[in-house]
Amino acid sequence: MNFTRHKNYTELKSKLEISAGNDYLKYLTKEKDISDQIINHSRSMITIINRDYIYEKVNLTFCNAHQVVLDAILGKSLVDFWGHDTFHNIIKRNIDLCFSGKTVNYEATFITPLSGKRHFEVVFRPLSVEPGKITHLLAETFDIDDLKNTKQAVIAKEEELRKFESNLPIGFLRCNPEGKILHANGAFLKIADCHDELSITRMNLKNFYIEEELFDLQLDQLAESHTKNFGMVNLKSFSGKETPCRISGFLAVNGSGKPAYIDFAVEDCSRELMLENRLLQAQKLETIGSLAGGIAHDFNNILATISGYSEMLHDDLPKNSEMSEKVSKIQMAVKKAQSITNQILTFSRHVEQEKVLINVAEVLKETIGFVKSSIPSNIVMKSRIAKLNTDVLADPTQLFRVFLNLMTNAIQAMEENGGVLTVSLAVVKRKFVQHELNKDIIADEYVLLTFKDTGEGMDPSLIGRIFEPFFTTREVGKGTGLGLSVIHGIITEMEGEIVVSSKKEKGSVFSVYLPVSKSYSISTSKKGSRKKILFITGNKYESRIFSLALESAGYELIFISDGRNFAKVMTNVRERPDMVIYMSDSKQIKPEDLIRIFRSQKILTPCILITDAIQDISDENLLNSGIINQQLTKPVSLKEIRNAIQELLR
Amino acid sequence: MPGVLIVEDDKELREMLKVSLLRRNFTVLEAENGKAAISHFKPLITDLVVTDLIMPEEDGLKVVIKLRELKPSIKIIAISGGGKVGPGSYLNLAKALGADAIYSKPFSINELIAKIEQLLDNEHLN
Repeated sequence: MNFTRHKNYTELKSKLEISAGNDYLKYLTKEKDISDQIINHSRSMITIINRDYIYEKVNLTFCNAHQVVLDAILGKSLVDFWGHDTFHNIIKRNIDLCFSGKTVNYEATFITPLSGKRHFEVVFRPLSVEPGKITHLLAETFDIDDLKNTKQAVIAKEEELRKFESNLPIGFLRCNPEGKILHANGAFLKIADCHDELSITRMNLKNFYIEEELFDLQLDQLAESHTKNFGMVNLKSFSGKETPCRISGFLAVNGSGKPAYIDFAVEDCSRELMLENRLLQAQKLETIGSLAGGIAHDFNNILATISGYSEMLHDDLPKNSEMSEKVSKIQMAVKKAQSITNQILTFSRHVEQEKVLINVAEVLKETIGFVKSSIPSNIVMKSRIAKLNTDVLADPTQLFRVFLNLMTNAIQAMEENGGVLTVSLAVVKRKFVQHELNKDIIADEYVLLTFKDTGEGMDPSLIGRIFEPFFTTREVGKGTGLGLSVIHGIITEMEGEIVVSSKKEKGSVFSVYLPVSKSYSISTSKKGSRKKILFITGNKYESRIFSLALESAGYELIFISDGRNFAKVMTNVRERPDMVIYMSDSKQIKPEDLIRIFRSQKILTPCILITDAIQDISDENLLNSGIINQQLTKPVSLKEIRNAIQELLR
Repeated sequence: MPGVLIVEDDKELREMLKVSLLRRNFTVLEAENGKAAISHFKPLITDLVVTDLIMPEEDGLKVVIKLRELKPSIKIIAISGGGKVGPGSYLNLAKALGADAIYSKPFSINELIAKIEQLLDNEHLN
């Protein structure tokens, strides 16, 4: 037997037969010794296996690796040597394949006593000692463990670099010197609005520039200085979306000094710009606020003068005269003006709110109930309210005002064409809020309320201005343009923030963030000593808001919705409340019922009247009846109502 | 007749208050800011003070503290129209410092007069 290939072996044999000269034989023996030496000292394990899966030849490397002597292995079956499982599961299949005439190449891991568990590449080559028949196979096994490890390390490193590059929030591009994209990372694909790298490599970076000439100019600059920061450039994505990006380039040269490629870093600055913009807006609002607050203060002085003289005039004039009616109109105008100055003061946060610990979800649900009762039929209202701890420090009446205003705005935006108003409440973590707000984060969690409509949306240029007082997109005469500025003031006073996003023809989303309060409600008055307040209401949702407010402030509330019950409660001395609050829109108990019951029973219980902002004269009877101790005009804050109660119960 | 001191920097409003008080036959004294009110204070003929809170020179809170000190039995009504800190908080502060009643501008003059009469009536009974 010989270790040379079967073809050589046959040649050799025939040569032997032809010239069986002694010298030549000697030469051949020497030759065989040399090849044996080479084979034995090969770094590969080399064996010859016959069709019975028996080792017929093995080299020294194999013996050393397996730490066996040559005689112990020659003539031994592979099943015995490798064990039943390894032989049948891996080896036999490949040997059989080789005996069918194919060279088989595979990788396997196995343990050798010399070096333990290692990775090998195995090659089976068919061998023939009889012409036209594969009788043996030559097995070569190379230790590729180090190679494999190095390869894996390289792959791992590559993967790491790739991850590093693709996870970076900055877009990276490699382009040829003309700007054709050779490679782009994930961040750039995002800016380009492209889902696979392949299609982007068909593009030139220039194609993403809104001003393509600018890119040519930048290439020229790079050719000169090699590294260059280009500042802010507007890019457009595949879908046409514009993104302001900060771009810098680096030109690499090859050995001969010619441009080889250009690396670009492309940073999406839209968020940064947006935050910068918002901060500017906030500062602007702050300035307008202090200005408007000062004006409101002066106006209140003027209104006090007008109101004082008109009151005196009203007293001087004969009752129900035409003149006195005209003076009443002046007084009504003063009331209206006062409501505007109050709103401005709320916007400029010149009005301090009285805050109680309140569950936002409850206030939101009541407001939804209130709105639903009068929603136009072409508008669908959906709500998603998380069942979580959503306590915040706030004045519930002000929260009601905020929610009501945002929902009303949304409905008005969809009035013509109908749509869907989606109201949702969730609790978000500090980490999330940090990225959304540009003010100090004061709580671990925030309540996030969103009011989303599918209405007409707003022009981007208007979005920044909607919280300014007197800014309105509505027709002249419809609304004062104070609503959203007041909302802004109320939310800022709660240390929250309101954020808006809008798309023309698509709709708007108002997001309100309020810090979740973990403090415990401190009830000021003990049970038993709590004052009882009878509430005569117009709307159950609105009254529920008042009760949330007053109950958290330590009062006990009784609600009455019909005249018979009212008479019963008021005549029973033990049940009689400490105070009556009467809302002028109450339908079940009319003002004349109230007057009649109070007079007939000679009731002296203090009574507060809450009226709508613009009230017709019909309440004059009630106001002049002597029953009402104090009159408040909607929107009434918890502070106002509480001050009134405290004043009257003193 | 009882004397009422009006401390108000807005001339027209001060005038209006004066007219309305004179109609009810009060003796009316005026000051256009806190400083004047304190330095020209006449304890013997002043029974009640109506003071604005936000004024140049000394503000109304100082008036409340100082006049209460000069004449402990004096009745004080604070009025405010909102300013730097807001009418709510300023008025509440005035109340905490000893004002007997507080009103935010614009107020009902009849209500204010009724309050003045009530405060001075009680004084009379005492």
